[in-house]
Amino acid sequence: MVSKTEETQLNRLENQVDNGGGGTWEYICLVRKLKVRRSDKVLKHGLSILNDPKKRSALGPEEWTLYEQVAIAAMDCQCLDVAKDCIKVLQKKFPESKRVGRLEGMLLEAKGSWAEAEKAYSSLLEDNPLDQVIHRRRVAMAKAQGNISGAIEWLNKYLEIFMADHDAWRELAEIYLSLQMYKQAAFCYEELILSQPTVPLYHLAYADTMNSPYNNNGSRSAKKVLYTLAGLENLLTAKKYYASTVDLTGGKNTRALLGICLCTSAIAQLSKGKNKEDKESPELQSLAATALEKDYKQRASDKLSLLTSALRSLKI
Amino acid sequence: MVTELKYEISQNAYIKLVLHALKHKTTAVNGVLLGRVNPQKENVVEILDSVPLFHSNLALLPPLEIALIMVEEHYGSEGLGIVGYFHANERFDDAELGILAKNIGDHICRYFPQAALLLLDNRKLEALPKGKDQSPMMQLYIRDASKNWKLVGPDAGSRLLIKEPAANIVLSDYIASEKWQDVVDFDDHLDDIKKDWLNPEFLK
Repeated sequence: MVSKTEETQLNRLENQVDNGGGGTWEYICLVRKLKVRRSDKVLKHGLSILNDPKKRSALGPEEWTLYEQVAIAAMDCQCLDVAKDCIKVLQKKFPESKRVGRLEGMLLEAKGSWAEAEKAYSSLLEDNPLDQVIHRRRVAMAKAQGNISGAIEWLNKYLEIFMADHDAWRELAEIYLSLQMYKQAAFCYEELILSQPTVPLYHLAYADTMNSPYNNNGSRSAKKVLYTLAGLENLLTAKKYYASTVDLTGGKNTRALLGICLCTSAIAQLSKGKNKEDKESPELQSLAATALEKDYKQRASDKLSLLTSALRSLKI
Repeated sequence: MVTELKYEISQNAYIKLVLHALKHKTTAVNGVLLGRVNPQKENVVEILDSVPLFHSNLALLPPLEIALIMVEEHYGSEGLGIVGYFHANERFDDAELGILAKNIGDHICRYFPQAALLLLDNRKLEALPKGKDQSPMMQLYIRDASKNWKLVGPDAGSRLLIKEPAANIVLSDYIASEKWQDVVDFDDHLDDIKKDWLNPEFLK
């Protein structure tokens, strides 16, 4: 998970490297540190270092880490020959290494030899039953083969052991979302918020999830929003978490501000004639609307009229 | 006697969607189709433009709702409406029309009953540079009388046409020059409102 500043820094560095301005090793290290997926760049620039004996030796012991990183990038880009070559170098340097064994397993995966990959991983797990990377590969393999329910099962098993793995919780949430299993996705986000309560991304994702109607029969028109009764509690929760996202991001998160507007509109519709919601809502909604309009006026003025009509259509 | 519905997609609308999918190779992406019924030929739906929507968490409905409101508002003033939906699956091997795409399609059908669902055809796209295929790299799905989404047979090529016959050549060029880097979707806009989901200068 990358912050905006980190992403800007990474992109700037990437541009620099792409245009021949140097900083290649710095870029590759940053990609590794931030755990982002830029395989085509890593492959291209990593190879430029590895294929130059002077640059390679300048890396010292980091040379092997680069081989590993490039091997994985190559597999992601389906350049299996490059991957094989890198792995061969590592095998020579570190015979019998479990870490290299994992790469061999990944190469089998990249080739689509699922059964062989599973065999390789199982045998590695015999000696290292708590190897996180291999457990993750199992989930990835299930997903790659389209076995989503298998992926969910493996991932749930994984989380029983490695319950502090935030990436895994996020992955599970996203898989549930892709199947429109909002309730289950919400549970994952709740775990994330519990363990990292100051990360705005989780609050926002949770709010968006709670604000997505569970019942697919609840029609959602662009102009009027109808929700099932069970939806009211979820909407109130969503509003709370949009508000906390706004709080955590100093009011700068467009999605959260829009979420507040959508949410309060839906709540008002649902609680018409119920006297449930007090006058607190209109203030929150109008504050969010004002903040949005101000931002659009400053930075996206051509879209301001669209925003205004959209907000207008959300007010009852 | 009901004449079969035909869909004609403009080159720009088509290319924008495919390039969007190529920009985000590792996730599912979606987009909406804008257009109208041909005023002279009632059985032809013209898809004149497209807006790439999301490349992450496509099933989160609040961002989708906002996107649809703003898109409708903008194109409504040009006399165009949402006439369909485009989806590209996350995995190369997945050629199935998923639940989410069908649900969104159903929703669009409430306002435009002849709505089309277009699913990116990964295998066709892979073969693009090697062939002279003029047909779109997409599968067409239409709702039948029982409101189920049905794939329009192997002759979909005759019911979904690209207006400009050389579109795939242009597409291949853009792919070679990595033009997909410049596509902006609604997700990008929500992250940074300076980014314009209308992609005004994109294919000029």
